[in-house]
Amino acid sequence: MGWDLIALLVVPFAVSGACLVVPRRVAQGLTVGSGAVTFALALLLVPRAAAASALSGWLRADALSTVFLTAVAFLYAATAVFAVGYLRPPGERERSRRYTRRFHSGINLFAWSMAMATLVNDLALLWVAIEVTTVVSALLVAIDGTDGSAEAAWKYVLIASMGLGIALLATIVMYHAGTQVLGNGYEPFFGRLLGAAARFPPAVVRLSYVLAVLGFGTKMGLFPVHTWLPDAHSQAPTPVSALLSGSLLAVSFYAILRYYQITVRAVGPAFARNVLLAFGLASLALAALYLTRQRDIKRLLAYSSVEHMGILAVGMSFSAPVAVVGVLLHVLAHTAAKGTAFFGAGSVVRSLGTKDMRRIRGAIGVLPWSGPMLTLAVLGLCALPPSGLFRSEFLIVAGGLSDPRDAVVAVLAVLVTLASLGLSWFGTQTMLTPTPESVAVGETSGWIVASMVVGLLALTVLGVHPPSALSGLLDRAAAELGVPR
Amino acid sequence: MRVIAAVTLSQPAIQVLQDLTILGLAPGVSGAIAHMEARLQGRRGPRVAQPYYDLAKLFRKETLVPEDASWVFFAGPILAFTCYLIVPLLIPVLTAYPLPLGYQGDILGGGFLLALAGFSVALAAAETNGPYAQLGSSRAMTFAALIEPSILFITFTVAVITATDLPYFEAAANRASFSAAIRPAHLLAALAFFLVVLNDTGRIPVETHSSTLEFGMIDEGRTLEHSGPPFALLKWGSAMKQLILYVLLVNVFAAPWGLAGSRRLGPVVLAILALLAKALGVGAVFAVIDSSFSKLRLFKITEFMAAAFLLAVLAILVLYLGRGG
Amino acid sequence: MSAVAAVTPPVPSTFSGTAEGIAILVLLTAFAMLRAPQSRSQVRLYAFQSLAVAALAGYVAASRHVGDLYALAGLSLVLKAVVVPGVLMRVLGEARVDVSRSQRLSVASAVLLAIVLSVFGVFVVGSLPISSRSLPAPALGLAAAVILVAFLLVIVRSDVVSQAVGFFSMENGVSVAGLVVASGLPLIVEVAFLFDLLVAVVVFGVLMRVHHGRARTLSTEALDRLRG
Repeated sequence: MGWDLIALLVVPFAVSGACLVVPRRVAQGLTVGSGAVTFALALLLVPRAAAASALSGWLRADALSTVFLTAVAFLYAATAVFAVGYLRPPGERERSRRYTRRFHSGINLFAWSMAMATLVNDLALLWVAIEVTTVVSALLVAIDGTDGSAEAAWKYVLIASMGLGIALLATIVMYHAGTQVLGNGYEPFFGRLLGAAARFPPAVVRLSYVLAVLGFGTKMGLFPVHTWLPDAHSQAPTPVSALLSGSLLAVSFYAILRYYQITVRAVGPAFARNVLLAFGLASLALAALYLTRQRDIKRLLAYSSVEHMGILAVGMSFSAPVAVVGVLLHVLAHTAAKGTAFFGAGSVVRSLGTKDMRRIRGAIGVLPWSGPMLTLAVLGLCALPPSGLFRSEFLIVAGGLSDPRDAVVAVLAVLVTLASLGLSWFGTQTMLTPTPESVAVGETSGWIVASMVVGLLALTVLGVHPPSALSGLLDRAAAELGVPR
Repeated sequence: MRVIAAVTLSQPAIQVLQDLTILGLAPGVSGAIAHMEARLQGRRGPRVAQPYYDLAKLFRKETLVPEDASWVFFAGPILAFTCYLIVPLLIPVLTAYPLPLGYQGDILGGGFLLALAGFSVALAAAETNGPYAQLGSSRAMTFAALIEPSILFITFTVAVITATDLPYFEAAANRASFSAAIRPAHLLAALAFFLVVLNDTGRIPVETHSSTLEFGMIDEGRTLEHSGPPFALLKWGSAMKQLILYVLLVNVFAAPWGLAGSRRLGPVVLAILALLAKALGVGAVFAVIDSSFSKLRLFKITEFMAAAFLLAVLAILVLYLGRGG
Repeated sequence: MSAVAAVTPPVPSTFSGTAEGIAILVLLTAFAMLRAPQSRSQVRLYAFQSLAVAALAGYVAASRHVGDLYALAGLSLVLKAVVVPGVLMRVLGEARVDVSRSQRLSVASAVLLAIVLSVFGVFVVGSLPISSRSLPAPALGLAAAVILVAFLLVIVRSDVVSQAVGFFSMENGVSVAGLVVASGLPLIVEVAFLFDLLVAVVVFGVLMRVHHGRARTLSTEALDRLRG
């Protein structure tokens, strides 16, 4: 019992260590293998978690954590594939052995820390795991050693650490709320906290919740503490950008949801929802404005992440369960779409040698495979069907209308449309224009194409017809997040 | 001997004695500090009794008046000296119990009198046309205004601790128990008051006490144009102000012990001796500070003020937080 | 007379008065960091602050007779008062620069701003119904003030050492808060926190070195290329 949970943590960690000593090709193979194994294990967990929570001492996989674990594992696997192509550019000087060792070790460790964050069964260890993700990813952001990456890494580690300091305070305050009921010196397991939450002192829980939203929100990219995000996403190596944007933000959101769960039980849902609504709308508005005036393709995608995190927060503020299902589906779909988009952007940047979208023209002609797929991913991010994001945003809006919170839904629709406008404008500008003649036509690596195919496939499956096991999982997770009867 | 010590003094007599103690000891304390400073800096230094000789000499000298000065120039020193004579009637100089006039003014009352004295000296200095005197008086008023918030917050602290703002009660509260004497709010307020005293007596790091460099002068600069008896009053007054502040520091905040508990002559005389010892102790501390720190640049003095204010505010905050438990 | 006694706050016991005093020292150190012009003095102040926090942990251990907490106090003493300042000093030694004049605000304004923040923090915490068995209640308000002052330090100083020290100082504030409200937190969790801090220090050190290696300075004024 629980061997799969343990394996989920052991495999990436062991591979991370191994990558420091083995040759480069073996490290690439191990990383891809580890990603595949992790993803397979996560998929195996889906039907089980949809039926009952899996527990193993310090680890726990209930429906909620399995949703996020699946997102992390999927992107881990896809990124591992992409990284093979990313590190092997034809005609370029190969990266130093030191770089590739550190890179592979770091990627695996990063994925391991995120998987751990979703799997630990302890409020305090959750914080520890998320702090580990910060530390590892900050080093990965700085790994290229350019001026820009050093600056981005410094801002990231400083702002995220300060945010996590706040989150630590939230953890401590929540623990204090628990001591009133559970006595001194208890282990803050989720099950125990959730069971006793109804008797927690409301004022203390409220304080803890606000601190948690602010603190973990810093890592999730909520306005006004998102400032590190565009820098880190644009300066990191592309595989790291994809992991940051696609899964790290989701994992931070997961941490907020854990506090949400407790708060809903202790002080009722209205407070928890309104806090998220405020942060969510502010993030959406900011992202929509910045999306219309971006010049850097990776910053564009980063602000798109801020937008989608805003949608998640707003979605959680609707009381209809269908909206919560939509939010969780949105997490999965966003992971697939944003990962693919970053892969495509990385491919474009590599072929055309610039991130400046004013100078990227006709990418679709230059890159016969990743160009069209990037266009599809960007359109998917704009929530056009059959993207999974269309289904999830549809569910969120439907939930909002049945709540009914028509005014919020209207604002949401306007802001999302504005953001989509910015995103698709730049998408078409860079893709569907005449190809410049000076650039060599052709894909740089089949691995990159493969990773994008996988991502688009997942995005489409989520949009067209999510497997029944996954639907069951989402329903159960939404029930776990709801108000207990 | 025993009989004399048992003589009971009337309360007005003790009140007058408080005044006389300050009046008489003040120049001596100043002289002792100057002597200690000199010794710490490796000089032989002036005699301890030198200030008395200085005063005597000045009272015999003629008075020179700047051309444009009016009666304010004379009134300033006299008014200031009067203020310094009134304040010792209000504060616990010798006795642990409140004397009749002790209820006539609280800490704020005493503070106002001291401020009035400072103001009248500054006004008298502004009356002259001496540039350095005017510079000193404007600076002195500026820094007096900057240190004022700290004094107010110290007063608030005393008021919150004792529910009055009479210095006698603060001293009594501190004597009551060891816990009360080391409670953080009290320590913070005492430390803040220490900084205020440092500022108000024109000590390093705010002002070089014994310098002749006019540009660095704040308090000292104000008296440059005075001469003869008015100058003697100013010098005497500033020595008294220093001793009054020391008395407040030790008898209210830091060490409110050794005060006379009865009206008998013996304890009162002992209290005078104890006061002298405590004042010399404080003076020694100030002398050490004077010799081990350097003067702050004029525009850095605000940092010093901010520190005093910080301590005073913290005292209030701690009291606010502790009100529940 | 009884009415008078009711409005005056009770005199804290000698023991809790001492604890409050230590907490105040932690806060005053945070203020001193705002003033300290040189990076080295800031690191020393941080070491002193950590010492005070460890003393507070030892005090709680003594008052509650918990062996775990002694271990924790010792561990945080070693890590935060010795190892972390040591790492920072080493980075400074390699950089061979001692940053000064990185204040964006004058010291007096910064201190006044910090006082306002502290008052805010104290009043917010004071309005909460949080009681503690292990430490006097004022310590929590003071911890909130430490956190806010540390935030201000990160904002008003523009050199990497001040910013890192600001973060560590904030962590000290959180530690004090933890001692007040959650002194029963299991040892393993506390050790995990501490370990995490150590890792963060290493990362801060690495990034400082990277920054210095590229920019030849520890100032963050040059870090303004990424915007928009």
